[in-house]
Amino acid sequence: MNSEFEKLKIVSRYELLKQFRRKRFYGAVIITILAQILAIVLYKGLNLPGALTDLARRIDPSTTINDTSKLFAWFITSLGLTLPILFSVFFAGDSIASEFENKTGYLLFPNPVKRRTIVIGKYIACFIATTVVLIIAYVVSVTALLGFYRQLPFETWGALGLSIVLASSVLSLAFLFSSLLKGGMGATIGTLLTYLLIFPIVSGSLSTSGHQPWFMLNYAGNSVTSIYGIKIPGLGGEMGAGPTPDLTVSLFVMLAYFVFPFLLSIWITKRREMI
Amino acid sequence: MLTMRESINIENLSKYYNSFLALENLSLKVKMNEDVALVGPNGAGKSTAIKILCGLIYPSSGTAYINGINVVEERERALANVGAIVETPEFYPFLTPNETLSYLGRLRGMGGPDLSSRIKEVLHLVKLDEWAGVRIEKFSRGMKQRLALAQALLHNPTILILDEPTLGLDPRGLVEMREILKKARKDKTVLFASHMLAEVVQVCDKIALIDHGHLLVYDSIPHLRKKYHKSLEGVYLKLTEGAI
Repeated sequence: MNSEFEKLKIVSRYELLKQFRRKRFYGAVIITILAQILAIVLYKGLNLPGALTDLARRIDPSTTINDTSKLFAWFITSLGLTLPILFSVFFAGDSIASEFENKTGYLLFPNPVKRRTIVIGKYIACFIATTVVLIIAYVVSVTALLGFYRQLPFETWGALGLSIVLASSVLSLAFLFSSLLKGGMGATIGTLLTYLLIFPIVSGSLSTSGHQPWFMLNYAGNSVTSIYGIKIPGLGGEMGAGPTPDLTVSLFVMLAYFVFPFLLSIWITKRREMI
Repeated sequence: MLTMRESINIENLSKYYNSFLALENLSLKVKMNEDVALVGPNGAGKSTAIKILCGLIYPSSGTAYINGINVVEERERALANVGAIVETPEFYPFLTPNETLSYLGRLRGMGGPDLSSRIKEVLHLVKLDEWAGVRIEKFSRGMKQRLALAQALLHNPTILILDEPTLGLDPRGLVEMREILKKARKDKTVLFASHMLAEVVQVCDKIALIDHGHLLVYDSIPHLRKKYHKSLEGVYLKLTEGAI
């Protein structure tokens, strides 16, 4: 009989095969590439540095925003590296719930493999699928940077690393919903609503009342773009003159969001009955 | 007391779904190489008992052993030598029968040329060899049922636990499935849940009749006929009188 580690490798391999056979994976790749191209076209076509300079001069007339590789990387990263993270929810949302909803659990669960191994294997597969999309987005960014500026800012590597950590946290959140809810669609919508609506409302309310929402995942996730250290007077949001998340704190916050929801999803799946 | 001659031993198993009592102190022993049918009306508790045996749900009280191993406490070890079909299992639509059986076979420690030849063998047995490389999303319910039997037999288990394995099959499929089961049951312990008495008679030697979660009778088919002076159908109707 195989060890649990061997079984984990088998589950991950076949779960990954399932991910790569789904249309949603290729949809995510195509949309990510198109979004990156759109960001590049908008940046160059609308002369974004000039527009940002005009905006900043309303606050500080001496400001000039130069068209640097860092500014360009910041702009395309904000879209290109965060979009795949949202797609990860579509990969993970039905991972556990579908075993119950589609009754495939009747096939998989009576095998001599621990539920914990199945959940971890599924997570690894979703993580790899998400990372592949992230890397494709990154390759498009790097190609554009090298093409236009002949240089690659060091922060771009950090942005990729932070994106991967953020993706792992969002995946954990999706796994938690997937282990809790009956349907994959509900789990996907639940995760998206939490990350895109509930977290920003809480963070925004805290910020407005003068409290830094350092412990909120969406705020910590802003470190993906704030790593470039670009501050533009007059611009709202995290790139404006307001507080930006501390990188180290954000990293630990994201890791916490990875660990705890994931452990909880394993615990729930182990106890969940296949009625 | 357990003995290794008992492949399956269910002890005082009870299961509540919220306030609904699906099984009440069910006890049943299936000896090695016995073929036992678990029969009863809809909602009698057959699937609940099977699901507990397969580690899919937890009993509210009592326990179950497979080859002397407690299913509740050591699920993975207890299921190592079990092939199961529970309800009408669905398959991963993006995978082919070859890939599905390869996945499940590897999880059970199989691999290499042995696994490949065994996959061919079981797919041939259930007459799906021509569909081995086709994605399951294109399969009919009957084909999925055949594939379910193929996965249950893949690792040549000593125990088969089958919950309505002929559900959804057309008359030809029904006859073929019955023939496969007759061949496959050799040197195996079979627990076969069904409410189709005609099927049961052809595949099993003994019957455990349950109703409302209670075991009503557990005996050999010839002995039951003799005892009640009735056909098996007559015995069933008499014992489940009043059942909805």
